[in-house]
Parts: sequence; C-alpha cells; structure tokens
Amino acid sequence: MKLFSATKIISAAMLFLLLAGVSARAASGDLKLEAQLVIGSNDTKPKDAGLKPVASDIGKKLKKLPLKWDHYYVVSEKKFSVGNGNTKKTSLSTQCDISVKNLGDQRVELTLASKGQNVGKITQSLHKGQTLVAGGDADNSIVVLRQAD
Amino acid sequence: MSEEQQLRLQAFLDGELPESDAREVLAWTQRDADAAALLTELRNTRAAIAKSELHLSVPETREFYWSKIEREIQKLEPVEKEIAAPILNWRRLLWPLGTAAICFVVAMMEIPRVNIVQPVAVVSQDTDETVVETDQANSDATTYRDEADGTTLVWFSAAADANPISGKMPGAIN
Repeated sequence: MKLFSATKIISAAMLFLLLAGVSARAASGDLKLEAQLVIGSNDTKPKDAGLKPVASDIGKKLKKLPLKWDHYYVVSEKKFSVGNGNTKKTSLSTQCDISVKNLGDQRVELTLASKGQNVGKITQSLHKGQTLVAGGDADNSIVVLRQAD
Repeated sequence: MSEEQQLRLQAFLDGELPESDAREVLAWTQRDADAAALLTELRNTRAAIAKSELHLSVPETREFYWSKIEREIQKLEPVEKEIAAPILNWRRLLWPLGTAAICFVVAMMEIPRVNIVQPVAVVSQDTDETVVETDQANSDATTYRDEADGTTLVWFSAAADANPISGKMPGAIN
C-alpha cells in the first residue's frame, strides 16, 4: 500500500522549494553589520588599559583618513542584522547611539546620536569592504560601520 | 390471507417467533384450513430445498480456502477504485491545486517588491552617492572619501568646534 501518492510528493516538494526560495530571498535582503565605537589617540597605549586596538584592516583605513590621531582603540562593538526596509537602533555607549536603516541594494542610512540628541544622518552604499566612519561633537570618539564578515 | 399473515407463518416455521406468538400461530393453523395448507406447503418446500442442496467439499483447509477468496477480493479492489475515480477526481486535484494556489499567493506577494521597491531604489539612490544631513542648528558636516579604500568619513561639527580633521590631505576633503 502506498503511503503517499506521487502527486502529493511532487506538490510537497514544490512547496518546500518555494518556501526555501522565499526564505533565501528574504535573507538575501538582510544586511549583517558590525558597528564599533572607536576612540582616537596619539598615545601608543590607551588611557584605559582594557581597550584593545582596532583590527589591523580597520586601523589601516583609519590611518589613511585625514584625522589627527595615529592610534585607534575599540570601546565597544555590536554586530547585528537589519532586514530590508527595517531600522535597527543600538547603543554603543551611554552617550553614543546609532540607528541604521537598511534601504535595500546594500544602502544604509546611519543616524548618529550623542547624549540622546541626533547629530546627523548619513545615507550611502555600504557594500562588503566599504567602511563608513562618522564622528563629531569635537570628541575623539568615532563610529565605524561596515558589513560583518 | 394477508402478506403479513403469510410472513408470520414463515417466521413460525423458522422458529423466529416468541413462544406466546408461536402458540397463537399454532392455534390459528388448527382453526384455519388455508393457514394449515400454507404451513404444510412451506414445510414441504423447505424440506425439498434442504434435500436438493449440494454439499461441496474442497481439498484445502477452511482457512486456506477463505484466504484465497480474500486475496481475490483484494485484487479486485484497485479496479473498483479506478471505476470510482472519475467521480472523485477533485480529491486528486486537491494537492496540485492547493500547491498552485499557494504559489500564486506567494508570487503575488513577491511581485510588488520587484515592481514597486526597485524603481524607487533606482530613482532615488544614485550608485555610491553619500548624502549627509545635520540635525543640529549651526552645525556642519565634512565628508571625506577614500575611493580606493572604500572608506567614507563624515565629521559633524558645530560652528565653534575644533575640527579634528588634520591638514594631512586637505585637498581631498569635499
């Protein structure tokens, strides 16, 4: 006796493939991001001994920028995923909040907030390998945003 | 004699009546000649059938004999289903039609994403353009891009702020 007819098996397989395709499509629109709060310093060692230097690839990029510091240390780091059209808010410190909106096509809108007040908004593409660095308020803190590996 | 009376006589002969009813029928046949004649005829008929019934014997055991019949019936069952199938075709179509309906619904949900979201993206989003907005009064933003490295620096500064951007590469700052 047959448990399942061929029609049922084929239909179930089609449904499975369809759902898998939709899931893959939905997942493909997600952006996996990595945000770091980094402080710049001209001291070879940070004032806070607990801080670690930024990753070498980020360090190289930061050193190429026309900033006045030579050394960069990670204060905090957050990894998160933002769905297409969605916004993710996260705090990098008690005074620094960011909000990232996934605009699709690997474009993001980064909103920077300091001490609870919005500082500004940056909209640009953020493909793998691209890095967005934002700072302000005459502070030595900067936010580094890029796609997570 | 009514049909009901005839059937009652038959039931009496077959021993299917309760004792009180059987006594009534027996008394009735003794009073009524027609009833007595019919009862006699029925008895004779039953006896004749019983005598003429063939007594067949089979070489197999009883269980084996009936199992053969059972197997034959099982062989015939699919044929019966095939005959009945045209009437119940909708059941066969239930799965494919259900699947097609789900595919259609999902496709309809997916199509707006393709047709609506993408054109907006194409119109409003120019390749790698960086758009910067300041949210505070009397503030400014400086943007620097290192195309080769894929790095963009945006520095928000109030008018009185000391800008930390060094003079290393002033020409490259937008």
